[in-house]
Amino acid sequence: MTNWSTIVNVGRYHLTQRPVYLTVPWALTVFSLLINLIVSTAVPTSIHTAGLATLYVWMFVGGLMATHRSLPFGLALGLSRRSYYLGTAGLAVALSAADAVALTALYALEGATGGWGVDLHFFRISYLLDGPWYLTWLTSFVGLGLLFVYGMWFGIVYRRWNVTGLAVFIAGQATLLLAGVLAASWADAWEAIGDFLTDLSAAGLTGVLAVAAAALFVGGFTTMRRATV
Amino acid sequence: MTAAISVSGLTRHYRGHRALDDVTIDIDGPSITGLLGRNGAGKTTLLRMIAAQELPSRGRVLVFGANPLENDAILRRLVLIREDQTFPDFKVRHALKAASWFYPNWDGDVAATMAGEFDLPPDRAVKKLSRGMRSALSIVIGLAARAEITLFDEPYAGLDAVARQLFYDRLLAEYAEHPRTILLSTHLVDEAAALLERVVMVDRGRVVLDAPTDELRGAYTEVSGPVAAVAQLLADRPDRPGQDRRRVAAHESVVIAGPLGGAELQRARDLHLRVEPLSLQQVLIHAAGRSDDESSDSGRSDSGRSEGEHSQSERSERASA
Repeated sequence: MTNWSTIVNVGRYHLTQRPVYLTVPWALTVFSLLINLIVSTAVPTSIHTAGLATLYVWMFVGGLMATHRSLPFGLALGLSRRSYYLGTAGLAVALSAADAVALTALYALEGATGGWGVDLHFFRISYLLDGPWYLTWLTSFVGLGLLFVYGMWFGIVYRRWNVTGLAVFIAGQATLLLAGVLAASWADAWEAIGDFLTDLSAAGLTGVLAVAAAALFVGGFTTMRRATV
Repeated sequence: MTAAISVSGLTRHYRGHRALDDVTIDIDGPSITGLLGRNGAGKTTLLRMIAAQELPSRGRVLVFGANPLENDAILRRLVLIREDQTFPDFKVRHALKAASWFYPNWDGDVAATMAGEFDLPPDRAVKKLSRGMRSALSIVIGLAARAEITLFDEPYAGLDAVARQLFYDRLLAEYAEHPRTILLSTHLVDEAAALLERVVMVDRGRVVLDAPTDELRGAYTEVSGPVAAVAQLLADRPDRPGQDRRRVAAHESVVIAGPLGGAELQRARDLHLRVEPLSLQQVLIHAAGRSDDESSDSGRSDSGRSEGEHSQSERSERASA
């Protein structure tokens, strides 16, 4: 069975590549912030930017690296697929939680300084991240974790079935999306969906994302059992 | 006692290609077994399935009596060192450190000493190491892990002769100090011959030979010299098909099964013939050739193991005939 020390050690194994999980994402986020600050000083109006997406994209990349590039050596270290997967998911939770704490602090700081003195909205995203601090933390945590777990699933598919598998995987998701859109159209459900989305609070959306993350976790785990290296 | 490794009826297909075909072997420890065979014979596939890195199409793998698949307690007692190991994007010391976290018997001193002997720079990125250096890193991990089952798959790609000798020396020293079940797949048969207690040969996914090394060493003899003298010596022996003859001008060399008897040996000396037992590598080449003959003549028997033993006993029968 997988024990806790194994889960922690798999996380440590991944963190030997600190650039992928910590240095690079945060360096790029800070870089993006600086660019936006410079632009903000030149522009008189308040600026809303999506620069924060950098960090989220890197969570996806991190998840993908963890189950693609790092998997063969991980399984060569006497780990079962289950232990490796759970340990990697453990890293996703820990990393998302810690990053979310940093984002919440920066969110508070940005609010307190009036957008770094130039009315920049970098960490404060209207609708999504403009509630109380604990909701900001929760939404960030769930969002970051979701992308990491999503990346993990991509990594496993890529490791097991290469580019062909990846193409099928992406095509499958597109088909699923299309089926949803068609089903909604046939059922004349667009209005109801519109209402649902309009009524959905940021907290509610976080809940939906959490459910999605759990589904991705299960999907990845199922795929992982068939992974070979 | 349950065998350390027990494989039965193991088969693996890859899209119309049969990488492993009904392989049955038991390997008990402590021992050093050579897993030999040509490129693409199925050695790596077999080792990967023992280490649960690959899933069997059919058949069964037992390690210490249990299926190793998804079995942490078993997998922790096993290490597979692969020629083509992919490493994450990290440094040499990270690889050694990570291994130390997962292997219960990991010996940090051995790892440090061996890394020094192989001149492994701890702060160099693994991807910047040369091929040989990467092999050395894998070897260090494989020996320092002190896993009860240690599988080496062509561990010394790119290693020079000095480093390879270092590997053999270290392997033997480690084995003497902490006996374990070692399975070593290799192309460099004669180099490793002194280490091996038993030889398992795989050809086209099947076990074609499985015998103690000592038995194989005397299995064939090469007699060479002038054509007439060779003919004179072998006059009493029936000229069987499968007997390997090579003739260059008036010089001939013939491979015969088994060692020469005392009287024959004396006659060979009188005829000024050269008599040499075949080296393990030549024996295997000979055996591989024969397995081709046998498969074209009479098809192959069902179980890989029994076939290996069968052809072995058949050979000694012919030798004594």
